[in-house]
Amino acid sequence: MITAKGLYKRYRKTVAVNQLSFDVRPGVVTGFLGPNGSGKSTTMRLMLGLDHGEGETLFDGESFTDIRRPMNKVGTLLEAKPFHPTRSARNHLRMLASANGVGDKRVDEVMDLVGLGSVKRKKPKGYSLGMAQRLGLAQALLGDPGILLLDEPTNGLDPHGIHWMRDMLKHLAAEGRTIFVSSHLLSEMQLMADELVVIGRGTMIFNGDVDQFVRDFTQSTVIVRSPSADGFVSALEGAGAEVAKGKDGELVVSGMEMGAVGHLAFTENVELSELSTRSASLEEAFMSATGSSEEFVAAEPLAGGANPAAATSPAAPATKTGGADNA
Amino acid sequence: MLDALRFEWTRLTTLRSTYWLIGIGLLCSLAIPVIAGIAVSDDPLIPETVAAGLNGGAAFGIPFLAVFMAIIGIFATGHEYRHGTIQPTLTALPQRSRLIASKILVVSAVTVAVTVFSMALNALAMLVFWGEVPGLFEDPLRSALLGYVVYTLIYTLAGLGLGLLFRGVPSALVVIFLAPLIIENLIFGLSFLPMADWLVPVVKFLPFSSGARLMSLNLMEMSGEGMPDFDYFGRWGSGGVFAVFAALIIAAAWILFKKRDA
Repeated sequence: MITAKGLYKRYRKTVAVNQLSFDVRPGVVTGFLGPNGSGKSTTMRLMLGLDHGEGETLFDGESFTDIRRPMNKVGTLLEAKPFHPTRSARNHLRMLASANGVGDKRVDEVMDLVGLGSVKRKKPKGYSLGMAQRLGLAQALLGDPGILLLDEPTNGLDPHGIHWMRDMLKHLAAEGRTIFVSSHLLSEMQLMADELVVIGRGTMIFNGDVDQFVRDFTQSTVIVRSPSADGFVSALEGAGAEVAKGKDGELVVSGMEMGAVGHLAFTENVELSELSTRSASLEEAFMSATGSSEEFVAAEPLAGGANPAAATSPAAPATKTGGADNA
Repeated sequence: MLDALRFEWTRLTTLRSTYWLIGIGLLCSLAIPVIAGIAVSDDPLIPETVAAGLNGGAAFGIPFLAVFMAIIGIFATGHEYRHGTIQPTLTALPQRSRLIASKILVVSAVTVAVTVFSMALNALAMLVFWGEVPGLFEDPLRSALLGYVVYTLIYTLAGLGLGLLFRGVPSALVVIFLAPLIIENLIFGLSFLPMADWLVPVVKFLPFSSGARLMSLNLMEMSGEGMPDFDYFGRWGSGGVFAVFAALIIAAAWILFKKRDA
């Protein structure tokens, strides 16, 4: 169990992390989402005491810096290639293991577990980004910890590697471990995470389960097809719904439940050929939630080829929050 | 603390640079008695020759071993930032003071061991050429040789502190080489000029020059007719100046290390 309370970090005039509080439960994968520059990595570094700020993070009731042999309790993966180029991958892990009472046998075990057993005596400077990520995961698993904190672990992995990582994390969560993993790959998070912590510009946007996030941050729409669609529009609008024309003559109705639309069609004696709900994807929900809180926004490409690639700052961060556990 | 010491020992011994830096330092140091042996082995040994042979010429301003050990000291902290390993290090060993203390202890122990080994190796070389190494355990040679060990240790710790202070390797290397070679020599030289005689009282506080007096056989050799009266401290007093310099660097670096983000 991870409990973060009032995490706050300021770099001169910029508030990078603003009073974040959340819990990460064991037995599930909790995704940590946010646009680039939203403060995900800084938050994780604050949690581990790597950066100094305000607030407190407890790992099963203990602050990270108070844990005597932390790798046996909390496994971390923060940066893609934090390895000395001339020290072999195995020796890199042996070095970290030696500070935590972990033996060489376990080092070899985790190297095999992440699929690097055959290259463990090679220097990581020759590793691809994907291999480096695997080595990072091996490092996190060294002490067989009950809590894992992983910053963008799928970066650089090929599709097979991403699939492997997803299965690995779900398997570890199923064993009752606490998994907190950040990613900007929303499609991955949709497949991997059970719960989400979503931030924008260092501020909490959402903390809760994935389905609730999608529900809270997308307006569900009802799709209606009817031979007399045009006539039905005025009835829908009269009932307070917003109606837009979709492709092939479909009506996209928002602000009204599917059951109510069906009832209205019945009372108006309108024949329907389709009545369905369109669910938003996690990606759509994410864009809706964080759209105005991106730190760096590229200009839209202009017609004719000119593209002023100036980075601009949005006027205001998203402030919509939701979720049962949002503190 | 034992975990931290194990970590630092593994860190140091799994780096290839540790071995080649020690190897080059030992070889360069060994070259002095070997060259002297080839050139003047027919001459009887005097304490000055013994001292220079055993400390590899360090007393004459070329402290090979100290320089290479200081680079190991710089790498002990600077490499952590240069290669980004400070993050995994602090997630494996988050107690920062314990980490720094372990680095100081392990690097110090290795430095003393390597320096003593170097002196033994050089003594062996002198034994081959001269058939004897007289006066090893008699003052002032004994104190000068002990001073050489202390000098190399302080030099190394200054490097370790600079690597931590600058959070990198290049700046620390520049300071540790520029300070004794250029800045201190410049101040020493300028102090001879009447217009800059206010520098005379400063000279005895120049850290690297003071440290070199730890290895000196004749502590009066830097004084004489026509020279300013620098009012030098004695052997261990001068060593104290060098030690305070290194301690200040380490203290500043240690405090900042605890305050700064990793």
